This record gives sequence, structure tokens and C-alpha cells, in this order.
Amino acid sequence: MAKRVSLDKVLFSVTLVLVVIGVVFVFSASAVMAKDRYGSPYTFFFRQLAWAVVGLLAMVVIAKINYRHYQRPSVVFTALSVTTLLLLTVFFLDRSHNTHRWIHAGPFSLQPSELAKPAIILFLAYFLESRTRTLNDWRSTLIPAVLPPLLLAALIVGEPDLGTALACLAITICVLFAAGLDLKYIGYGFVALLPVLCWLVFLVPWRARRMMVFLHPGDDVRGAGFHIWQSLIAVGTGGLSGVGLMEGKQKLFYLPEPHTDFIFSVIAEEIGLIGAVVVVALFTVFMVRGLRAATLAPDNFARFLAVGITAMIAVQALFNISVVLGLLPTKGIPLPFISYGGSSLFIMLASMGVLLNITQHVE
Amino acid sequence: MAAKSPEHNSQRRVYWLGGLLLAWAALIALRLVQLQVVRYGEFHERAQKQQQRTFEVSPRRGNIYDRNGHELAMSVNVDSVFAVPSEVRDQEVAATLLGKILKTDSREILARMKASHAFCWVARKLDAQTAERIRALNLQGIYFQKEPRRFYPNRDLAAQVLGYVGMDDDGLSGVELAFDNELHGIPGKMAIQRDARGRYFSSVEHQPEPGQNLVLTIDENIQAIAERELERGMQETHAIGGTAIVENPATGEILALANRPNFNPNDTRHITPAQLKNRAVTDIYEPGSTFKIVTIAAALEEHLTRPEEPIDCQMGSIVVAGQRIHDSRPHGVLDVTHVIAESSDVGSIKIGMRLGEQKFDRYVRAFGFGSQSGIELPAETRGLYKPISRWSKVSMAAMSMGQEIGISAVQLAGLISTIANGGIYTSPRIVAADVPNGRFEVNPAFQSTSLSPVTQHRVISDDTAQEMKQMLRAVVLDGTARGHIDLPGYSAAGKTGTAQKVDPATHAYSKTKYVGSFAGFAPVDHPAVVIAVIFDSAVGLHQGGQVAAPVFGRIAKQVLAYWNVPHDLDLNQDQRKRVLRAGIADEGDETSPDHIGGVVDEGTNSGMANVEAQLTAPAASSQVAATPQVQPAKLAAKEHPKSVVAAESQPGVSLADHAVEADGSVVVDVDGTQVVPAFVGKSMRAVVEMAERASIEIEPSGSGVAREQSPPPGTHIVPGQKVTVRFSR
Repeated sequence: MAKRVSLDKVLFSVTLVLVVIGVVFVFSASAVMAKDRYGSPYTFFFRQLAWAVVGLLAMVVIAKINYRHYQRPSVVFTALSVTTLLLLTVFFLDRSHNTHRWIHAGPFSLQPSELAKPAIILFLAYFLESRTRTLNDWRSTLIPAVLPPLLLAALIVGEPDLGTALACLAITICVLFAAGLDLKYIGYGFVALLPVLCWLVFLVPWRARRMMVFLHPGDDVRGAGFHIWQSLIAVGTGGLSGVGLMEGKQKLFYLPEPHTDFIFSVIAEEIGLIGAVVVVALFTVFMVRGLRAATLAPDNFARFLAVGITAMIAVQALFNISVVLGLLPTKGIPLPFISYGGSSLFIMLASMGVLLNITQHVE
Repeated sequence: MAAKSPEHNSQRRVYWLGGLLLAWAALIALRLVQLQVVRYGEFHERAQKQQQRTFEVSPRRGNIYDRNGHELAMSVNVDSVFAVPSEVRDQEVAATLLGKILKTDSREILARMKASHAFCWVARKLDAQTAERIRALNLQGIYFQKEPRRFYPNRDLAAQVLGYVGMDDDGLSGVELAFDNELHGIPGKMAIQRDARGRYFSSVEHQPEPGQNLVLTIDENIQAIAERELERGMQETHAIGGTAIVENPATGEILALANRPNFNPNDTRHITPAQLKNRAVTDIYEPGSTFKIVTIAAALEEHLTRPEEPIDCQMGSIVVAGQRIHDSRPHGVLDVTHVIAESSDVGSIKIGMRLGEQKFDRYVRAFGFGSQSGIELPAETRGLYKPISRWSKVSMAAMSMGQEIGISAVQLAGLISTIANGGIYTSPRIVAADVPNGRFEVNPAFQSTSLSPVTQHRVISDDTAQEMKQMLRAVVLDGTARGHIDLPGYSAAGKTGTAQKVDPATHAYSKTKYVGSFAGFAPVDHPAVVIAVIFDSAVGLHQGGQVAAPVFGRIAKQVLAYWNVPHDLDLNQDQRKRVLRAGIADEGDETSPDHIGGVVDEGTNSGMANVEAQLTAPAASSQVAATPQVQPAKLAAKEHPKSVVAAESQPGVSLADHAVEADGSVVVDVDGTQVVPAFVGKSMRAVVEMAERASIEIEPSGSGVAREQSPPPGTHIVPGQKVTVRFSR
């Protein structure tokens, strides 16, 4: 039966190291820009550091809270409805960068879409916990399980934030897959979503452009291909051992968002293949330990939570890195733990707290 | 499905998921290897390319020296100003401030700043004062870069020969253009990049390689003489253009080449094409009578006539192919010498007709007409000379007297040089040598390392040339130039030319516009110098003898004095006194045109200043002391071997024998006393040499440079009286 063990120290350490790497590279990537914009090179660094400290504290606290407390309708549906509400709210708020992604409250700003991912995981784990046997009955289980994530994803697409919406879908598929979903349904779902995806991509000119750039990266180095091309140059310039911490130059004018979505370019440029592989390896270790926690979990709820959280972080990390390396078309997905962004980091670390709590329970 | 528990199935699914994600991670790792190891070079290069802005650093353009090593064109480092626009706090304010100082449109500066993030020129090659004012603004993002700027220390001296350069130091005319490749050097590269802290820094990628120096055959002092006398001639004749060429007939070296109008190459903003063109080499004019030299020389060489043969000039009228040609003045029977001296068209035609077309054509070409002389200046004309097939019936006659043919001033100088040089044509040249980069070293052998090899060919025999010389002397003694050349102590020969200009509107000869020319040499037996002078459209007096011959005389007088060429004629008492006075008294008389020492450029003196100094009365001694590198005139003469050769080739006569006489203006007074030269400031060796030449005994004390002398310079002493000179270091 279920017994208590100490939390997974490997998972904890890997998370800590990734967060530290993040803080360091946020500084490296943003110092010059921060000095230009705010007069101090430390602006982004301090913010990230503060969020990292707060996030890590939250993680440690949450790691002590028994995950079973979440296995209640009140928690699950509150989370779902609050997220939905917030996602609806942003539509009525000011646009920033021509998008409705942010809710600003004093010094804090929150992306509700970040909340959507844990909410979906919580919902799926809760909903599927006792329904694994009927999962492949689409009427009784599959449709009700898939509907709320699809709804949230649709709202997020409307922000518009296709990247996060896709991440939500990816998490959903991962959890359903782990729960034993028949592969044919995944196939159906993919076939059903493909036209929608194509419509979304090719209806919006900049997305279509990004897609063309991805397919033919050399074609338009100065225009739409600029960002991805600059990212490749940064990565390539790093070579085996990198140009040295803080010494990267691509971040200065060439990389878009060097401290957020393209921070992995900066890492690859400054600490080279060795550093980049270490970061990928850390995520791999994280993923293995996270899934290990899922296999050891005492119940389905814990297992699905663990799969969901691990998948959320791993898929986003691999997706982000793939974009940076030109393997996938550009989507605005941050690199978990590392990219600058307070709300994202906090939510990731809080989720990690849940995962770490699960590691303390084995069958 | 029933066989496996859902838990077990779920376990497997998790493994599957892990496997998929691991595969994804492995793919990423492979991609990293591909980008960072396999394609590293490609990306590295691209990053370099985009992260730095490189721009050229001008090389130091080679200097242009005259034959004595004095700078005619040099490059000095001045400040250029550039901006790194992204560092400039307020571009509009900066542009306004800069525009005010630079007196340019600030909007233009602003536009350039907006056009680039990393680099733009604000202003280039500024004078020190302006650069200082900009520096004082202390603007952020405004930087200074040293760039060489062309500077012509003698301003408009030999302007068309030297030419000028554009903002990027490209030669745009003259020698600057013709030898742009040699002078220009190889640009360096400078890179502007940002370090990882966002600070800009510039680094020199490769050093620019300076251009080669160029040594011209021009002598700054002779050029100054030519410029001054040409200018004076321009003022006297009110001509619209003028040219003077001084050439060494033996070597073809151009010693001076002056044109009017001219320009100051230091300030090229308002140059007109008329000022810019080197009319001596680019312009064609109809020579008129000077061309009769070709006709007569060819006929003499072909034994078709003799200098003393009488020619009936038919009272100034001849009919050729149905056209009647008139002399300007009717002549009866003249000997051939006087056909030249009096410049009879009829006589020339009659002699020319004896030659026939083929022979005449051969001599015209042999004298260098109809083809480029090869002088190292851009845009040289070949002249206008029709092939025989296109001659009309009157062509032969017309060309015999210098019509229907177009020549350049350089070709004219070449013709006279051939006569002066004993019948050997020598191609003219103006570049003595190039000196591989670095400073100029006075290399006595540089004349032999000419860039363009001297080409020589015999046109007429030496005997014919001697006959021609005597005939051309007759022009000066009792022909068309008589009384127009004041050259005491030297014989001179030459030919006048007065050609009507063709009116471009009517295509007929103009009745009012003439090109007056004189080309000649001196001394006659051992010509040291050939001088050709041409005035275009003189107002009033316009004949070659009237307008050009006096200028020839004045230039010849000063050049021969500058070189201390031995007199070949006795000076009569009056003349000797006059020469002496010219040597001493003229110094106080600034308006005197015969004043030998030209002001070339304040401070860049040398040979001339010395000659002056030596001639100078006591009052000038302080000036001499203030000029440290003073050279005795005799040393200057040594740099011109041909003048020495001319004297030495005369059997039994050495230059030393002539020295006292030649330096008559310097040393020996009519009443037998001697004038003490200025020794102060000279080396002991120079003092001893001077004293020797002047037959003055000196009593030296100490060593080093002469500091004091007694009696002072200019004092008259009796032979045997010693001059004490104190030397110290």
C-alpha cells in the first residue's frame, strides 16, 4: 500500500539548477537591453530572481501539501472556472502588443493562459481517476474529459496565443495517452483538429509567414526569416564551448526576445554545445524522474497529475528548444524555469511542488 | 484489454511517453551537434559579418616632390568625424549643433544618422579649428578618426601638373590622376563592433599601406619663375590663356610647366574647366610660324637648300593651287636664314614645296607631331595632323608655314628641344622616379630610374641642327624677336609664331584673335634650357615676338642665373654693372621683375633663397641666420648635371674657370673689390667651398655651423683681406 518516502532529491536538484541557470541567463540576455530601457542592467535579473525565490518557496511549501487535497470537486472546478473567468476577463482589458494575454495588477502581471495548463491537468487527473476503464467510451468519458480542455484552448487561441493552446492540447493528449486512450482516438482527434489548425495558421498572415519561413528558412533572411535565422546564427556561433558567459553578441540586436522565448539561443551561444547539451540533459533527467514518479504513484490521480505536470514542462521545453533550433515553426512558448517571466515561473514551480509531493508517495 | 490491468497498461503508456520524449530530446541533441559543430564555421562567419561594420581607412597618399625633394603635394592627417547613431542621445539636437559648426544642412546629417545604427560619417577631413569646436561639444556617440588630407604647400604652383584629389583621395587630374595607382596606396580596414556589454569599439583590421612617393622633374624654383613671368605676361597681354614650358633639351625633363588660368588645388570647390585643363598638353593650337622650323630643317637635312641660299619672297605674295597667300610684310629676296628670321610665309612655302609630301610628312612625324609625346600627364592630345591621303592641294603649302596643323605646347617644346639637342628628339617627361613608400631620400641617381624610359631618335644631323641653331639665333638677333629678349651675357635662339585663331562661329580665320608664341633656347651653343611660351588671344600687341619672346627672355635670364650657367657672351661694362646691381640692389626693390629669387612659398625655400641670400646686402644676414638649411648656389647647380655638362664638354673650359665669371653677380665687383658672402648658418664645408669659389680667404675658428663672421656679408673687401668665421655646434 501507499507509503511515505522523502521527496525526489534528483528532481528537486534538477529544478533548482534549471532555475539558477535561468536567473543567470536572464541577466546575461537582458542586461544591455535593461540598461537601455530602464537604466539599470539588473532590472530583469532582479525581477526574475525575486520570482525564483518566491516560486521556490511556494514549491517547497506545496511539496508538503498532500496532493489528495486537490482531489475534490470544489478545488478542481474552482480552478477550472476561475481560469475560464480570467481568460474571459482579458478580452475586456487593454491590449498590449495587440494581444489580450495579460492581466495587470499593480506590479504583478499574470497570463491566465499559464493557469490554464495546471487547471487542465488537475481536471483531467480528477475526471479520469476513476474512469480509466470507460475511457475509450467516447460518450460517457472521452467527450466530457476532452471538452473543458478544448474550451480553454479555444479561449486561449482567441487571445491569440496559439502556442499555449497547442501546449494545452499536447498536455491533454499526454494525460489521455497515459490513461490508456485508444490510439485511434488520438488519430481521429488529430484528423479533426488538423483543418482547424491549418485554418488558424494560414488565415493569420504572420502565422503563415512563420510557417513558410520554417519550411524554407534560407529564403527570407532579412524579413520574416530574420528571427529564426538569427537564432541559428547564435546557436552556431557558440560552437563546442561557447563564446563565454555574458559574451554573446547575438542577443544585442539580432535575437528577438533574447531573455524570454529565445533564451536558449543565448545559452547555446555563450556556453556552447556542452552547455546546451547539459540543459537538454537536465530536462531529460527531469522528465525521466517525473515519469518515474508517475509509475510509482499510488493512485491514478497522482499518476495522471505527475504525467500532466511532467509533460507540461517537458513538452514546452522540447518545443521551445526545437523552435530555437529551427526544428519547429516559431511559436511563443517560453522555456520552463529558464525564460524570463514571473507568472510562468511561479506556476511552473508551484506545479513542481505538487509533483514533488507526489514523489513522496509510492505504492 | 481484459488481460492487462489498466494500471499495468497505464505504466506501459508512461514508458512509451517517456520514450517519445527521450527521442525528441535526442533529436535536439543531434541538431545541436549539427549547428554548433558541423556548421560552426558558416554561422561564425555570418555572425562576424553582421556584428561588425567595417569601413575603409584611407591610406596615406604618397607625396609628390620636385626634383630637389621639396614637397609639391603632401598628405597631412586631419580629423574626420563620424557618429554611432544609436549612441547619440538626441540625434536632432546633435545634428543641429554639428550643422551649425560645419555650416551644412543639419537635416542632411540627421538623415544620415537615421539611416544607420552603427556608423555614419558626419564630416570628413576637417580643418583643425572646426574639429576642435566639434570636440568641445563633447557629444555622446560622436567620434573622431584621423584621415589624410591632401595639401599643396605651394598652392597654385604647377596646379595643372599636380592636379587635385577628391574627398576619397582619388586623383582627379594631373599627375594625381595619371599616377593614382602608385600614389594612392592600399586602404586599410577598420571594424566597428559592439562588445557584449553593448559598448562600441573600433579596431583596425589591417593597416592601410601608404602610397608611393613620386618625384617630378619639375624644379620648384624654376616653376615659380615660370609662373611669375607667365602671370606678368598675362597681365601685360590681357590674354585669355597662357602656357610656359621649361624643358631640359638633353633629357626631355620638364623643369616647369605653367598654365593660365590656374587654380588652387587646396580649394577645389570653385574650379572651372578652363582653370583645370592643362592646356600645355591637352589643347591643340595652330602653331603658325614656329612650325617653319620643321620645313626649313627638313629641307636643310635633305640638302634641298642652304642657310645662305637666296629665296625670292616675291614681295609677299604667292599663288598655290589657285589660292593667293600673302606675307604679313612684303619681302624681296631673303636668304634662308632670313626667311626664318623674318618669318616669311612665301619663302617657307617655296622651300617646303621642294620637299614634297612624303618627305615633309616623314619629318613632321619624326619631330613628334601627330602623336602623343608620352609625357606622363592625362588627356594628352596627339594634335591634329592629317594623313597625306587627306591633304588638299594647298595643304603642303599651308603646313609649310604652320597652318592646317594642330599641335600642343609640349610638342612645340619637343621641336625646339630637338634642334637644341643637336637633332635628336627626346620624348618629354615630367616624372623622375617613384620612391617606394616612406620618406623621400635625395637620390642623385634618380634621374636614371625614370618610370618611362627616355626614348630618343635622331631627326636631323648634328650639322643641320647647328645650322638651324644659328638661323634661330638670327631670329633673336635681327629677326622677329629682335629687341624683345633681354638676356645679358647669354646668346639665345628661337622662333616666333603668330597664328590667327579659327573663329568657331565662322570657321574662318579670326581677324582679331591670335595665338602668339615663342619657343627658344639658351645659350645657343650649349643649350641649358628650352622655353616655350604661348599666349592665347592677347589684346593689343599679339605677335609672338611682342607677347611671348619677352617672357622667354625673363624666364631664361632667371633660370640661367639660378643654375649659374656660364655666360657665353661678354657682358659690356654697363651690363656687368647692371647684373651686379641686380644682384645687390634689387633685393630692396620688390617691384623689380628681374629679382632672381622667387618667393616660392614662405618657409619652403632652399636653393633660391640661398641665391638670394648670397646676393643680399648686410640687412638680410639675419634672415640667413634664421634659415638653417641653406645651401650654396653652386651645390644647387650640381644637382643639375646637364648645365655642368654643357660647360664641361667645351674642351679646355671647366666650370671652375667660369665660376667667378658666372657668379659675377655674386662675387666680383667692377672696381676689383670683393663682396663678402653670408656665411652664417652654413656648414664649414659649405663655407669653405663658397670662399674658394669667391677667392676669399677665410680664417675659421671652432667647428660646426657658422655663427659669426667679420666683416659682415655684403661688405666690400680688397683681395687678400681675410674673413674670420666662427663656427660652433
